[in-house]
Amino acid sequence: MADTLLELREITKQFPGVIANDHVSFDLRAGEVHALVGENGAGKTTLMKILYGLYRPDSGTISVEGSAVSVRGPRDAISRGIGMVHQHFMLFPPFSVLENIVIGEESHHAGVLATGTQRARVQSIMQENGITVPVDARVEELAVGLQQRVEILKILFRGAKILIFDEPTAVLTPQESAELFRTFRALTSHGKGVIFITHKLDEVLAVADRITVIRQGKVVRTMDRAGVTKPMIAELMVGKPVLMEVERPAREAGATVLEVRDLKVRSPRGLAAVDGISFSVKAGEIYGIAGVEGNGQSELVHAIAEGVEIESGEILLDGSDTRKWSVRKRRENGITHIPEDRLKYGLLLPFSIATNLTLGRHDKPPFATRLQTVNQRAIRESARRIIRQFDIRTPSENTPANALSGGNQQKAVVARELAADPRLLVASQPTRGVDIGATEFIHRQIMKARTEGKAVLLVSADLDELLSLSDRIGVIFKGRIIREFTHAEAVREEVGLAMTGGKAGEERAG
Amino acid sequence: MSGSRRRISGHLVLSQAAPFIGFLASMVVLVVIVVLMKESPVKAVEAVYKFALNGAAKLGAVLSISIPYYLSGLSIAIAFRAGVFNIGNEGQYFVGGLVGALAGVYLHLPAPLHIPVVVISAMVGGALWALVPAILKAARGISEVITTIMFNNIGFALVNYLINGPLSGMAKGVSLEPQTKKILPTALFGKLNGFFRSIGWNVPDYVYLDYSLVVAILAGLVIWFLLFRTRQGFEIRAVGTSTDVSRYAGIKVRRVQVTAFLLSGALAGLIGLQEIFAIRGFYTYNIASGLGFDGIAISLIAQNHPVGVVFSSLLFGFLKQAGYGLQLSTKVPNSVTYAIQGLMILFIVAINAVIVRAVRSMRRKEQG
Repeated sequence: MADTLLELREITKQFPGVIANDHVSFDLRAGEVHALVGENGAGKTTLMKILYGLYRPDSGTISVEGSAVSVRGPRDAISRGIGMVHQHFMLFPPFSVLENIVIGEESHHAGVLATGTQRARVQSIMQENGITVPVDARVEELAVGLQQRVEILKILFRGAKILIFDEPTAVLTPQESAELFRTFRALTSHGKGVIFITHKLDEVLAVADRITVIRQGKVVRTMDRAGVTKPMIAELMVGKPVLMEVERPAREAGATVLEVRDLKVRSPRGLAAVDGISFSVKAGEIYGIAGVEGNGQSELVHAIAEGVEIESGEILLDGSDTRKWSVRKRRENGITHIPEDRLKYGLLLPFSIATNLTLGRHDKPPFATRLQTVNQRAIRESARRIIRQFDIRTPSENTPANALSGGNQQKAVVARELAADPRLLVASQPTRGVDIGATEFIHRQIMKARTEGKAVLLVSADLDELLSLSDRIGVIFKGRIIREFTHAEAVREEVGLAMTGGKAGEERAG
Repeated sequence: MSGSRRRISGHLVLSQAAPFIGFLASMVVLVVIVVLMKESPVKAVEAVYKFALNGAAKLGAVLSISIPYYLSGLSIAIAFRAGVFNIGNEGQYFVGGLVGALAGVYLHLPAPLHIPVVVISAMVGGALWALVPAILKAARGISEVITTIMFNNIGFALVNYLINGPLSGMAKGVSLEPQTKKILPTALFGKLNGFFRSIGWNVPDYVYLDYSLVVAILAGLVIWFLLFRTRQGFEIRAVGTSTDVSRYAGIKVRRVQVTAFLLSGALAGLIGLQEIFAIRGFYTYNIASGLGFDGIAISLIAQNHPVGVVFSSLLFGFLKQAGYGLQLSTKVPNSVTYAIQGLMILFIVAINAVIVRAVRSMRRKEQG
């Protein structure tokens, strides 16, 4: 048996009213990838924060390579060989790769930076672990996958043996993810240990040696990869069987609801973000937009749902030009929108959940009376109905939105946009940051909207989500749709390849 | 379920506690200052009591002082609720007051009509002085903080010019103070002291409890109703909470902000009513200044709530009256109370930040 690098024993951490970690034991061996999975709020983050020294445990011990330690902060953690690759990178974009790696550890002679020796060390670390990054490039010029490698190099440079990855694939393309998993292997082959936090079960099965599932602060089970299946993990996480695939009844699409013709939109910086896109979405159809983030998806969504200024082209809803429509007019005509950044755009956090569930329709009867006063009773009644129908967990409809858990806030936004009975639902990353149970629920709701004959434009970075829901998928690359797949044609690898713009071969739409 | 509801209302109580803690903390500082000045705290408390709390005359004086404070706080509250930082209600009440006074001087109307007309004129004047900054903000995104400060200065200069020049009502040998002609008797504000005495509150005649108190109460009720019972008010509060969310929800953010801005100016126009129509009977450049800026503090302490502003304006009225008492009976100068007002705001803002953070982390931890 390989040496144990890290052992957390009986860790308990209690916050007022809740036990975030309840006698959690977890260990990491040299040379293994140990996946830590669980729903939002299960206690993964708390555990890692304890390990990283950001929280002190109420009880329990941490030992690194056999000796008990107490970790008082990130600096302490890294000195004991524990490094974390955060979901949001901690890099200085205008600095070079080398500068980002050595920052805080620069060697110098009389105040003059001496990068020569450090450059050599960085290069030997890269070679050893099979990680290649152009060391003199500026970080802001690098693709996200490469930036992540800089993060990895940063902690390796500081001597990390235990590497924690917090949802590392959330921002990556399938190809970049595969590359990252090769890096995991390279790291473990040199005796390092990797803790892999994720909620994507395919990835767990693809790369993990052992899997620990936690639920409600407790370890449900730690198991070897062999013989484990997706439904098994999902059931352990949620505590009950989970339907992994959404049922998609065969359905003839109806009339065209949304038509986009040769659309061009400039980004706020003035770049051609959407560069001549044409597609259409029919009633009872889900049209998926696949693509690596930053290829014009946001601008496309904003042009359709928010009416940001377009440079040329047309957006037609049921045949009418929407160019001059305000957001209010768009909503009145049946366009609703699940925004990508729900914390920023989705909810008035200090307001009650009832108010939030009617936002966007607050100016229409029955929520506003004919004298333009607020009809609190109608708002509350409607909210109670939506809360029940969409299973939003809240003490009452009068609870302020900021008192809800993240997953329930997300659900509230989805529920509101669906409850408005749209013609066209624009769903942007509808399940980002949502746990499995809620994801399944949201998927079923989107499918239900399709069954009810609504048109759905689904923009997502989650390829599995697109593949299972969409009737058609358009792949967006550098502001153009470079390929279109029907549900039957869409194969994971091919769509993934098209997302990188690689060998699109026969360019079709766009 | 009921447990978490109780916890949330507990948070609510906690999050409202900042003004009280801030008030107490600043009172402690006041006592320390009194002691440092080698003055007996007992004597100081006595002076404050005698001047600000002792009997109907003193309480009435506090109430009287609080009326313009209330209107000023209300004017700021409506703007801040919409995320509009109207720093210009100072200039707006100087201009609004003049417009109201002109309606009182030059229009000939029967009293039941004349008084509402001067009130409305003052509101129009105040709104007018907010119009240009409002348009600049909505159309060009120019910060209202800068434009309204500039408009304060422009307003003072304009008013000064008008009452020294074309609108001057200075009769020879009467006064050297620049002023308008006398306001017609039909527009002057009568007193409510008789009414208060008839219901058993013995306010002497020299205390000014005039029609402006009615104006203030009506304005408070209307603004409260607008903010919390109408769609327009909801949109004002939504925009003040997040312009991003509001825009996403189809609220016309600019229109809402312009509306709130003009309302704020209109309310600012009412600040000078008491002094112009009840106390002096004419408009002068020397009407009390600074009431607009005080409104910012008054509204902030009340967390921009029209009901809270009732208490914070009474508090400011009390502090002013207490300051007179300290000045007369002890060695503590009046200006200490201004320092205390400033300190109190500092305390409240700081304590509020701490409480907000604590409540947020408590909620988060409850959710795990």
